[in-house]
Amino acid sequence: MKNTSTWLVFCAAMLVLWQCVTFASDQFKFTVDHWAFDDLSAQNLAVNIQLTRQGLIVNASADSIVLAQPIGLVKKVTLQCTELVLLSAQTNCVAGKLEFTHKELGSQAIEFSLKAMTEQEDYQLSVSNLKFADANFTIIANYNTQKWQAVVTSSKVSLVKLVQNITPYLDKDKQSQLTAWTFDSELTLQASLSGHQQKLEHVNIELQTSALNMSDNQGKYVTENVALSLLLDLAVQNKSWQWQTDISLKSGQAYAEPVFVDFTDAELSIVAAGNWQNAQQHLVISNAQVNHNNIVKVQGAYSGSLQKVEVLDITIKQADLAKLYSVWLQPFALGTAADKLEMAGQIGLFYKQQADNFQLSVNLDEVFIDDEKSRFGIYDLNGDVAWSNYQSVTQSKLAWLGGYVYAVPFGKSTLQIESHSSSLSLLEPWSLPILDGALLVNEFTLHNTVDDKTQWTFDGLVTPISMESLSAAVGWPLLHGKLSGVIPKVSYVDQQVQVDGALMVKLFEGTTVISDLRLAKPFGSLPQLYANIDLTGLDLEILTQTFDFGKITGKLDGSVRDLRLSNWQPVQFDAHFATPEGDKSRRRISQKAIDNLSQIGGGVGGILSRSFLRFFEDFSYQKLGLSCILRSETCEMSGIGEAKQGYYIVKGGGLPPRINVVGYTREVDWPDLIERLKAVSQSSGPIIE
Amino acid sequence: MTLFKLLSSSVAGLMLVSCVTINIYFPAAAAEKAADRIIGDVWGEETKPSVAPTPAEQTNNSSSIKMPIAVSVLNWLISPAAAEANLNVNSAAIADIQNRMKARHESLKAYFDNGAIGLTENGLITVRDAKAVSLKDRNTVNGLVADENKDRSALYAEIARANGHPEWQSDIQATFARRWISNAVAGWWYQTSGNWQQK
Repeated sequence: MKNTSTWLVFCAAMLVLWQCVTFASDQFKFTVDHWAFDDLSAQNLAVNIQLTRQGLIVNASADSIVLAQPIGLVKKVTLQCTELVLLSAQTNCVAGKLEFTHKELGSQAIEFSLKAMTEQEDYQLSVSNLKFADANFTIIANYNTQKWQAVVTSSKVSLVKLVQNITPYLDKDKQSQLTAWTFDSELTLQASLSGHQQKLEHVNIELQTSALNMSDNQGKYVTENVALSLLLDLAVQNKSWQWQTDISLKSGQAYAEPVFVDFTDAELSIVAAGNWQNAQQHLVISNAQVNHNNIVKVQGAYSGSLQKVEVLDITIKQADLAKLYSVWLQPFALGTAADKLEMAGQIGLFYKQQADNFQLSVNLDEVFIDDEKSRFGIYDLNGDVAWSNYQSVTQSKLAWLGGYVYAVPFGKSTLQIESHSSSLSLLEPWSLPILDGALLVNEFTLHNTVDDKTQWTFDGLVTPISMESLSAAVGWPLLHGKLSGVIPKVSYVDQQVQVDGALMVKLFEGTTVISDLRLAKPFGSLPQLYANIDLTGLDLEILTQTFDFGKITGKLDGSVRDLRLSNWQPVQFDAHFATPEGDKSRRRISQKAIDNLSQIGGGVGGILSRSFLRFFEDFSYQKLGLSCILRSETCEMSGIGEAKQGYYIVKGGGLPPRINVVGYTREVDWPDLIERLKAVSQSSGPIIE
Repeated sequence: MTLFKLLSSSVAGLMLVSCVTINIYFPAAAAEKAADRIIGDVWGEETKPSVAPTPAEQTNNSSSIKMPIAVSVLNWLISPAAAEANLNVNSAAIADIQNRMKARHESLKAYFDNGAIGLTENGLITVRDAKAVSLKDRNTVNGLVADENKDRSALYAEIARANGHPEWQSDIQATFARRWISNAVAGWWYQTSGNWQQK
């Protein structure tokens, strides 16, 4: 721009000079050692004027000319105007040529034409073959007292060269910012500038490239072969710049950590308008529309400084969740439980922020979510969730048809919630059907802590879930009984679910109470479950039938303390099972059960069937019991009392025949023990001949 | 003199009594062996556990484990081997993680080889040179790194818990950090004092 106006002034000056000279011959020459005019100065200026039939030929040269910054010194300047026409108030230079060398612009041979109406101060200039950054630029400019305008177009210009050539004119900060980037691209550029007197009033830039390649040093922001077209329109209005832009990215790929977008798959366009007040550094985006073809359409508005938001509105009317997730959401979820999801359905989003207050509402329409690792899923989710840090309450409602957490399925339910002050709570008690029972939640609150960690708590109860359905769901042997419980409080803090109170399982006619239940990183790499379990009055007959262990009658009490499951496998516990003190029930144990128990205790099976005892179907016992303290894959076994070199698993008693089972192995490899138990439940028992 | 002897022996005796019950210090040598076994399994044949740590490394190791003075005295009184606990790394949970890491290494190996990812000082991995990964694979690699680090952290915690000493987690992590680097193949990158170095 300055370039153009400087030359305009220079040429005009030469013409003014010319008009001041009177001549009487066909040729006129003069030389000046040093000549200065305003902020121009020239060394060894020589002017040669010839009269021809077409008009005048002017040749001017100078060893050097100093122009205003940023051009500065130019050397070996020659100016030629082969057809200079002088009319009463008009001077035309139809075919002009200007040559010079310049430190940054190199050696130039510019062609130009000029029409100057000096009285009206009306000048028209056209310049071509201006070399900048190894590309040819054409400038068409006109200037009058009302307005000036310049249109600059370029041949293909290398972005690398362009940056190299622009860099010297930038301040240090911008220069160092540019060195952090590498570029490779060829652009075509068209710019139109206009204004009044010294003022620039309107700029319109069109930029196009078929392959933009850019990268910062760390590779966090990269484009590869991106076909870009950019249109930027700026106009000064009331001391601010009104701007409008239209950017379209048609092919190629881009990565802006952590998001990768392939524009060949889906074009992306941004249309936006607003204004910028340079004095206040204040930006307004009155309307922005980002359209990522077939993936998401975003509408937005913004006002504020570059650092601080005054108003921000973002609206996504409806987007395909699967596509949105794979391109825009999943990269941000890496490392969380939500980083490998399969999704379907539509999502809408509305976000409004005013200064530090925000309001977010997400609308879900027939959404299906499935964890790829099958840890959780939810089906046909509809409704909306609101979240805000405003004090005023926003209500929302979510409903779904079903889903699952690990192996446990849950059913159709509706959740009515209200949100305010960065927290969520229930509008009304919520019931979540689980198998044939339900989880009833009275109070639920969720909030974000100061360090932006999510915490939630609820209280409620579990209405009876049949163990038949639960055992079928989780793949256990078919169990009979009911699971239920009153839960005074379940809390989730720091990736840990803590259940206060107790879950009660009515199992094998007895009662199993699960307390101190704690679940750490439930969807993490290794979910950890901690609990204490107490069992009272189990009916051994049903128990042994269920596991096909061999019939035992009587009662059994037990406890499993300090249980830890890692990845749902038991890795630690102190388990003790024994006939309760003062048990009055009929206590008999079958041959098969004895055989199995002695196998577990490390003995050899089938001894009974080889002895005379094989003629008895079962035996009476006084007490039985087994303990296992599991640590480091080893089970330290003991029974109900010490025996010679071993421990009693079964102590005979009551009416004969009696039998004792003594275990001798104190330390059993846990995986071995599991194998043995599996073998026991699968074996057909001892063969009685 | 006799009094002094009596005094010193009773002090030592007291220390013995008071320390033995409280301090079971971290079994550094066992941890290294365990780490090498797991690393060998995860990284496969290409990385055979390198020669036993050099004396320099060893001194480094022992200094890195903060030992109360009382325990040092204990070391002097009774041989360290007797005081060192064993370290068990056999459990279904550990085997699960190990198998996952082993399977993942098939995908990660190429990125270790080309320097895109490197080993950090704290026994995890990180993207070191994103430019070595094609744009379309960036998310995959970021995901692999996130998963690997989740598994590695879980592994260190699980070994500590499985041995009944959750407080050993950081020591186990530090041991693994050294052993991953020691076992790394020539050409792979690792971090020391915040700077990247190539094996």
